[in-house]
Amino acid sequence: MIPFDQLLVQAINGIVTGMILALVASGLTLIFGIMDVVNFAHGELFMLGAYVGTTIFVTTGSFWVALLGACLTLAALGAALQITTLRPLLGRDPLTTILATFGISLVLQNYALWQYGPVPRKITEPITGHFQLFHIEYPWYRLLIALLSALIIGGLWLFMKYGTYGIWIRATTQDRLMASAMGIPVPWVHTGVFAIGAAMAAASGVLFGPLVGVNHAMGFDFTLRAFVVVVVGGMGNLGGSILASIFLSLLEAFASLWVSPAQAVIVSFVVLILTLLFRPTGLFVPTPK
Amino acid sequence: MLDLQDVHTYYGKSHVLHGVSLEVSAGEVVGLLGRNGVGKSTTLKTVMGLVRPAAGHVRFEGRDLTGLAPHHVARRGIAWVPEDRRIFRLLTVMENLRTGLDRQGMTEPRKQELLEKVYASFPVLRERRHQAGGTLSGGEQQMLAIARAMTLTPKIILLDEPTEGLMPRMVAQIREIIDVLRRDGVAILLVEQNVPLTLEVCARVYIMEKGQVRYRGSARELQANETIIHQYLGVSA
Repeated sequence: MIPFDQLLVQAINGIVTGMILALVASGLTLIFGIMDVVNFAHGELFMLGAYVGTTIFVTTGSFWVALLGACLTLAALGAALQITTLRPLLGRDPLTTILATFGISLVLQNYALWQYGPVPRKITEPITGHFQLFHIEYPWYRLLIALLSALIIGGLWLFMKYGTYGIWIRATTQDRLMASAMGIPVPWVHTGVFAIGAAMAAASGVLFGPLVGVNHAMGFDFTLRAFVVVVVGGMGNLGGSILASIFLSLLEAFASLWVSPAQAVIVSFVVLILTLLFRPTGLFVPTPK
Repeated sequence: MLDLQDVHTYYGKSHVLHGVSLEVSAGEVVGLLGRNGVGKSTTLKTVMGLVRPAAGHVRFEGRDLTGLAPHHVARRGIAWVPEDRRIFRLLTVMENLRTGLDRQGMTEPRKQELLEKVYASFPVLRERRHQAGGTLSGGEQQMLAIARAMTLTPKIILLDEPTEGLMPRMVAQIREIIDVLRRDGVAILLVEQNVPLTLEVCARVYIMEKGQVRYRGSARELQANETIIHQYLGVSA
């Protein structure tokens, strides 16, 4: 029998990882929902966000300025990428956009390698304290990550629910043609959503940076997991992605009580396969009528 | 005000509109009749910029709309009420209306005023304002589609088969709203299968067949011409 304190520690770990994964995945699912674009460059936006964060952090010394600056920079970069590469491909075969985003991801990854070199950069967390959680010292910063991620996702939810642009985004997601006939500038809504997704990826990159060190390949692992989450949560379903992030991260955290964390990842893929077999529309969406 | 000249439209390789010409003056209610599949809906979609004509011109208030994106067409003052209504099903009634209300140049009092006007025409939408569009009945969805178009304060509404599949009581209500719009000076291009209703509300009528306008005349003339009605529409008015 696993002792209770270990279970609780793993539950907290799972929620913390789940929240940051939710931040990555919600950008991804938002983009997929509105443009039917599977954005393979999402992990690279995450990684570049972290790098931009380190650069701003080194210059200003403030973690918060770095976080905000990285979000704004990546939003602008995301918008530029969307306008130059994805907008002309809208409505084409999905394979075309997949290849385009895959190409973007290679370019960004190698740009980062060229610009920043292979040695991981460090970004220092804004709070360094620990608190006693049973037998281990648990860093406050991990809880702060979970809290900030929750705040950002909550902000996004309010924006989507009540904001004019949120309504534009939801209307465009449901019926692109009708939205444009209502005077909604659909091409710019797409650009905006891509920018929001990029900014959220950047935020997660900066938040996650202090835990792993920033390197040019850090995006890969996260995108892979975010894709699993997006499929399990139901493609394009924001709430589903958030639930799936937390659900899968908790499963992995508990699984790592028995096996190594690297092996625990298998659990997510098992869930992914089961979802695709038995509920291909997603685990957290109501059964289609 | 709206002027189509020799418009040809294709869907892929199939030639749907073979040179459609028609015009609607400011404040005029004009009917577009014809059997299924003759290109009536495509004509409206071409005006909206949802499909691009291969040849010909669409002009609105003297300016060329051809090739303009649908949201620019909408902002010029043209609203579209599609045949299948295309309500944003997951958005509430209020949010559906906000897709038209929340646009540049709209002040909060102006929005309220417009919303009140729409609710006055369709009281049931006020009751259902927090309900998802997809949960409304067919008739209510049709009202929402028209109400949504009204939030754009358009100069012309392209109304595609608004009475299709509706109960007589709802048809009467749609008829009433067409009158209200006419009194407000909104022009309407009405695509219908319901010939008696069209002849009642429209001043002028076009009849399409095989992607072309085959008959044009006043509603009164057409009413008196059983042969034409029978030939092109296969019904008796």
